[in-house]
Amino acid sequence: MSEIIMSVENLTKKFPVRGGKFLTACDDISFHVRRGETVGIVGESGCGKTTLLKAIMNMQAPTSGRIIFHGEDITKLTGEAKRQNYRHIQMVFQDPSAAFDPKMRVKDIICEPLVNFDLIGAADVEAKAQELLAQVDLPADFANRYPHNMSGGQRQRVAIARALALEPEIIACDEATSALDVSVQDTIIKLLVRLQREKGITYIFICHDLALVSLFSHRIAVMYLGNMMEKLDGDKLSAARHPYTRALLKAVFSTEREKNQYIEILPGDIPSPLDMPSGCPFRNRCVHCQQICAEKKPPFTEVAENHFVACHFPLEN
Amino acid sequence: MLLDVKNLAVTYAKSAAPTIQDVSFELDAGEILAIVGESGSGKTTVIRAILNLLPGGGKVSDGTIIFDGKNLAELDNSGWRKLRGGDISMIFQDSGAMLNPVHTIGKQFVEYIQVHSELDKTAAREMALEKLTLMNLPNPENILNSYTFELSGGMRQRVGIAMAITFQPKLLLADEPTSALDVTTQAQIVGELMFITRGSGAAMIIVTHNLGVASYLSDKLIVMSQGKIVEAGATEVVVENPQHAYTKTLLASVPEMGRARYV
Repeated sequence: MSEIIMSVENLTKKFPVRGGKFLTACDDISFHVRRGETVGIVGESGCGKTTLLKAIMNMQAPTSGRIIFHGEDITKLTGEAKRQNYRHIQMVFQDPSAAFDPKMRVKDIICEPLVNFDLIGAADVEAKAQELLAQVDLPADFANRYPHNMSGGQRQRVAIARALALEPEIIACDEATSALDVSVQDTIIKLLVRLQREKGITYIFICHDLALVSLFSHRIAVMYLGNMMEKLDGDKLSAARHPYTRALLKAVFSTEREKNQYIEILPGDIPSPLDMPSGCPFRNRCVHCQQICAEKKPPFTEVAENHFVACHFPLEN
Repeated sequence: MLLDVKNLAVTYAKSAAPTIQDVSFELDAGEILAIVGESGSGKTTVIRAILNLLPGGGKVSDGTIIFDGKNLAELDNSGWRKLRGGDISMIFQDSGAMLNPVHTIGKQFVEYIQVHSELDKTAAREMALEKLTLMNLPNPENILNSYTFELSGGMRQRVGIAMAITFQPKLLLADEPTSALDVTTQAQIVGELMFITRGSGAAMIIVTHNLGVASYLSDKLIVMSQGKIVEAGATEVVVENPQHAYTKTLLASVPEMGRARYV
C-alpha cells in the first residue's frame, strides 16, 4: 500500500444559526488518503460532503480538527503559505459551464493557474494550453474556443485540464460527472483513471451514484447527516455492514431485472440537521434500532481489515 | 388503444430541420412506456408535443396524435384546457418550479381543482387533502398551508404527483420525475408512481436518462438518439438483448455494481 498523503483528523464544522444553536455539518470525521488512490465519498444531499471538501480545499476553516498534508496542518496556514498550498490540491466542479468565465478563451482558462503562480509568461500560454489539451484528448484548436462552443463532456475535459495545469497531488471532484450523460460519464471516468495511472494523482471523488463510486474508488466513505457511517475498500461495497449503506445499495435501480428484485424502499426523510436525533443519527429510519441506539452514539469500530462501521449492531453478511 | 402516435415530427424554427422525426408508438391503458436517451435526443419534445406544450415556437410539422379516439390536432384552445390536467396530466422534474413560490400550496391546489370541477372551496380542499394522503405525505393539512420552499425535494415531488393524479387521468406524462432526487427518495417516488399507475389503470409515459429506473418501471421501452427512435420494444427484450449499436453502447456505459471496475 502506498504512503499516506493526507490525514483528516477529527474534523468538525459547525455553523451558527439563529437562536444560538449550531448546525453540525461535519461531526468528527477522520480518514486517510493514500497517494495514487481514489477516495469516494457517498451520501445524500445535506450529509456534509461539500463542507468536508471545502475544508480539504482550505476554503473554509473547520471548527475543530486537523488536516495534515505535507507534514503540517493546512487549516492553520495563512498568507503566502496558504496560497502556495492551493497548488497541490485542485478541484473539478459539477457544472463546468458555471466554473468558467464565459468570456475567456479555453487557453486562458486552462493557463490561468499557471500565470497566477508566475510559472509561465503570456507568450507560452498557447503552447502550454495545447499540451494540456492533448492530455485530456482534446484537439489543439480548442485553445481558441469559448466555453459555450463545446459540449458538456468537452467542457468537463477542459475543467480537468485546468485542474492538471499546476500538477497537483490531489484533485477533488465534486459530483464531476453527475451532470453528464452515461456514455460521456464513462469516457470521463476512463480519462481520470488514465491520468491517475500516468501521474499518480490522488482523487477525492464526491458522488451520489453508488454504483459508479464502487467501480472507481479504492476506498469508500459513506456519510449521513454530517457523520461518517462506514469506511471500506471500494471492491467490498457489496459487503457493507451498516444498515444505512445497505439501504442505499438496495435503492439503486439496475438494468438487470434480476437485481431489481432486491429493491427495497427506505421509508421517511432525512431529519433536519438542526434537529438531530440523539444517539445514532440514523436510528429513526433504521429497522434494527434498539434502546441503546437512542442513548449512545455508536463508535467507529473496525469489523474487518480496513472496514470500519459506526453501528451498535452491524449486519452480518 | 389509448394513445396512437404516428410519424410525429416537431420543428422548432421555421427553416430548421425537424428536431424529432418519424416517431411512432402505441400505448394501451395501464401500460407504462419509458423513453430513454441522452440529453438533446428529443425525448422531452415527444411528450411535450402530446400536450401541445412545445416551448419557443415549436410546432408539430408532421404526423398525427390520436388520444382516446380523438385527433389532438383538431382541438381548439378550450379543448386543450380541458384535456391538460384532466385526461392527460404531467409530472415535471421539479414540481417546486411548477408552483408559484409566493402562494401556499393549498391555494394553488384548490384553484386547480376548481378550474376543472364544480366543487366549492371546502370540498376542493377536502379533495386536495385526500390526494396528498394518498401520496403518503405526513400531515397533509400542514402541507397545504406551506410554501414550496418549505418542503424537501421529495415532498415537493409528491405534491406534484398528487396534483397530477387528482382527476384520475387516463394518461400521465412524467418528465424526469426522479432525476433531481437522492437515491433513497428516488426509490420511494418510483415505488409510488408504480403503485398509482398499477392501482388506477392509468397509462404512463416516463422520460428519463436513468436506464435502471426505466427498466424497473416500464413495460415498453423506446431508445432515442438525435431525434429518432433507434430501438423500441418490450423492456426486458430491449434491455437483455439490444439490437442497435447505440443501445448496446448506452447499456454498457451504465455503471452497475459488480461490473468490471475502472481501477
